[in-house]
Amino acid sequence: MHSRVDQFMEMARKEMKNELSQTFLKLVTFWAPILRQTALSSFPDPVAAESYSRAIRAEVIERLPELLEEFEKNAISRGVKVIWARDAAEANNIILDIAKRKGVKYITKGKSMITEEIGLNDHLIKNGIHVYETDLGEVITQLLSLPPFHLVGPAINVPPEKISEIFLENGILKEPTTDPVTLGKAARMFLRKKFKALDMGIVGVNMAIADTGSFINVENEGNIRMNKSSPKTLIAIMSLEKVVPNSADAIHMIRMLIRNCNGRKITSYVSFDTGPKKADELDGPEEIYMVILDNGRSEIYKDFKARSILKCIRCGACLNTCPVYMKIGGYPYGFVYTGPMGQAINPLLLGIENTTDLYRACTLCGSCKQICPAGVDPPTLFLEYRSRAIRMKNAKDNWTLLSRLANTVVTVFSFGMSQGWAWSLGVKCVRPVLNFLSKDGYIKDIPMGIQGWFSCRDLRAVPEKTFHERWKDLQNKPVPLADIAKKEVI
Amino acid sequence: MKVSLFIPCTVDIMLPEIGVATYKLLSRLGEQPIYHPEQTCCGQPLFNAGYRDQAKRVAKHFINVFGNDECIVSPAGSCVSMVKYHYPELLEDEPSWCDRANSLALRVFELSQYIVDNLGVTDVGATFKGMVTYHESCHILRGLGVSDQPKKLIAGVKDVQYVDLNNSTVCCGFGGEFAVAYPEISEAMVKDKAQNFINTGAEILLLCEPGCLLNIGGYLHRNHPGKRAMHLSNFLANNGKEV
Amino acid sequence: MSMQAREEILGRLKSVRKNTPAARPAKPVLSEINLDKGQLLQRFTSELNAQTGTVYQAKDKEDALRILSEIASAETLKFVLTTSDDIYGIDIRAFGSQNNISVSTVQDFSDRDAFRELAFTVDAGITSADFAVAETGTIGVIFHKDQPRLVSIAPPVHIAILPVDKLYPIYENIVEQVFRNTDKIPSQFSFITGPSATGDIQGVHFKGMHGPAKIFVIFIMNK
Repeated sequence: MHSRVDQFMEMARKEMKNELSQTFLKLVTFWAPILRQTALSSFPDPVAAESYSRAIRAEVIERLPELLEEFEKNAISRGVKVIWARDAAEANNIILDIAKRKGVKYITKGKSMITEEIGLNDHLIKNGIHVYETDLGEVITQLLSLPPFHLVGPAINVPPEKISEIFLENGILKEPTTDPVTLGKAARMFLRKKFKALDMGIVGVNMAIADTGSFINVENEGNIRMNKSSPKTLIAIMSLEKVVPNSADAIHMIRMLIRNCNGRKITSYVSFDTGPKKADELDGPEEIYMVILDNGRSEIYKDFKARSILKCIRCGACLNTCPVYMKIGGYPYGFVYTGPMGQAINPLLLGIENTTDLYRACTLCGSCKQICPAGVDPPTLFLEYRSRAIRMKNAKDNWTLLSRLANTVVTVFSFGMSQGWAWSLGVKCVRPVLNFLSKDGYIKDIPMGIQGWFSCRDLRAVPEKTFHERWKDLQNKPVPLADIAKKEVI
Repeated sequence: MKVSLFIPCTVDIMLPEIGVATYKLLSRLGEQPIYHPEQTCCGQPLFNAGYRDQAKRVAKHFINVFGNDECIVSPAGSCVSMVKYHYPELLEDEPSWCDRANSLALRVFELSQYIVDNLGVTDVGATFKGMVTYHESCHILRGLGVSDQPKKLIAGVKDVQYVDLNNSTVCCGFGGEFAVAYPEISEAMVKDKAQNFINTGAEILLLCEPGCLLNIGGYLHRNHPGKRAMHLSNFLANNGKEV
Repeated sequence: MSMQAREEILGRLKSVRKNTPAARPAKPVLSEINLDKGQLLQRFTSELNAQTGTVYQAKDKEDALRILSEIASAETLKFVLTTSDDIYGIDIRAFGSQNNISVSTVQDFSDRDAFRELAFTVDAGITSADFAVAETGTIGVIFHKDQPRLVSIAPPVHIAILPVDKLYPIYENIVEQVFRNTDKIPSQFSFITGPSATGDIQGVHFKGMHGPAKIFVIFIMNK
């Protein structure tokens, strides 16, 4: 997917004025935490359940290479063709190659964020293989060329009129309609024809089980089971952090994933594939190709201060609790991954220097960290990226005059902040300047400075005396112990 | 017990009455607050902006100033969070400083946390006839796990009526540089906060974070004059009157 | 090329120091393990009902046939595909002839294309199920030569029949069995909870997106 991170604020402004987006954001972010809480309360001890899932993901990170090798060995022993891909280009070419060898004219796809990350659809289409997304939300975003609005419901905000129009254009719908169910059923009938004649399906992987070589998909619609049942060839693609040690761990993670994702306790289908079909089976893939994708993750793995993002299980709970996401929705994040987890991973995939807004547009409120079932700590990651960005901006071979100036000013400040007398002096100098602009004890605006504050807020004028300066007076006037009723002004 | 006052930069410069209120409360409760005049700032703004080298310098100064104190109390959760959780991280590659930071982390407390948990007090002798509500600032709530303590102190106020704030745990949109760098998003967040406050019908919105106070207070002053936000220390020390 | 990619990727992953993973906390215990047989059935039923699935308790084979006829009538089934003539002793062909319903059996097919064509055409798929889970009203199906995959996903209605003694409290009880014998792990195993569903357009929820819109589970109480 092409990154549009540089349009962050432009998109954010647009989305904050978009009534439909705002309605959805309010609904999603109101209901999702309630549903999640209710679903989690089905555990006798939800806190223990969360600690356990965090422990599993933490262990996976520490054991990642060994778990991947174990998974590969077991998958191969079941007849899966395991292929490793270093980057997007390699993965895309591997998949195209298989499609060409099989002579397929089209493929159908289950929802897979990493295929969007690597731009698989475009690559296949450019090379003459038609791609049909089959997850309803993805069908819509594909046809409308939209980025995802939400991790789990990528097209949930799209008006039915727009969907009707694009469905009519693409032969999915015969008569215009704005009824979501009619639209959905039309997509069903259209895609059923594709499933019926399908030769090759492509799916993502929610979890790969190391000790059996199995992979798991969770879904509500049934399109992934179709992709894994109908055609003779199946390609599964997983990013390398999706492995878990065993099926018991997988079950626990699935319970946590789904509760955090959409407040259900389980999805309609949770299917486990362990090798292609046996010789005497009447359906299922004769061949399964498992593409294990790196695309920057092994480098992230080596980066001990950033690798914790690899624990993410893509549940989307962080989106539903983020006060910034609640206001701007998915589009401003400009890439396949949105919300706090997108802010955490996109800088590592796209470059810290290209994604400034993603790690700065956060109040560090910690809501996402608190609820993450995998134990990811986005605010800590953002602070790390901010620090790296400053270092990069001031690197020997990379500095600009502005960054050097800023750095110098901050250094001067830090010296001032390390000496009591310098601090006091600094305040004494700044106070009259700021208060010159104040009226009735409040500053309404400061020309040429921190405009952002004053766009909607006033700032109280700087008081005549700092606490430092009042301390001397405080010391001279001891506070009577029982003196409560009288108003005291010092 | 000699309690050392850690008065954050926002309080020192912009909201000194919070420092005075903190001093008064602790004095009344029998503590003997001392104040190191060489203190300046915990360095959080620098750290949050990514200037770690400079933040380190400020952190070392802080550790020098407060390093020998048995007990340090501050009316700002985000600053306490900075010292407790980020100082050891900031200084991890300098072992002796890191040790001192780790030791200091155990001795620094947010004000309401200190009064309720360490002193075991919930009634500080305050009175207020009126309705109040409470905004749970992010660093206090999720950083320090402090939520019951301010509410207990509010409940201990004679004659007070308390009403819950809708979405009390949602961020107010301050976030330090965030409010300045992303004003439109910040405005959308503080607007919600203000509206939730107005919807309660409460007279005062109480909070324990000076940054939140500047943000919400500044927004209320511009858009809803007459509605006020107040720091809990100030509210308790002065019976809800503005000083 | 894949070998080279593999060596590079694993090489990078292995190049960093490995920390010993922290000991795990205790695995949370689930309350469902304490339910008795009656409670398990009650729980299964209420969970599946909440997903709009229907649960029947058939006293015996005859009762099961009667229930099948009831479903066939309510859903106006004309043409069904079943995994077997005989599902836990229930004669599906008899059901078909009693109700004037055309029944195709998996055994009728050797060609996967023809089978697939039919699976997408029928009104309902009738299958056995290997397990049921009270925790969430879920059935578990092992796929193999006598239990192809499409029967339970392509038709708009799915009817699953199983003995009640296959009802367990939690998923672990099933997964243990499915994966215990490494020589006998099925090519595919699926948990199925309720019908296919989506809410992707405007959050408006409906059943039967790609898979069945309706699911019926018949427990045989006495063999």
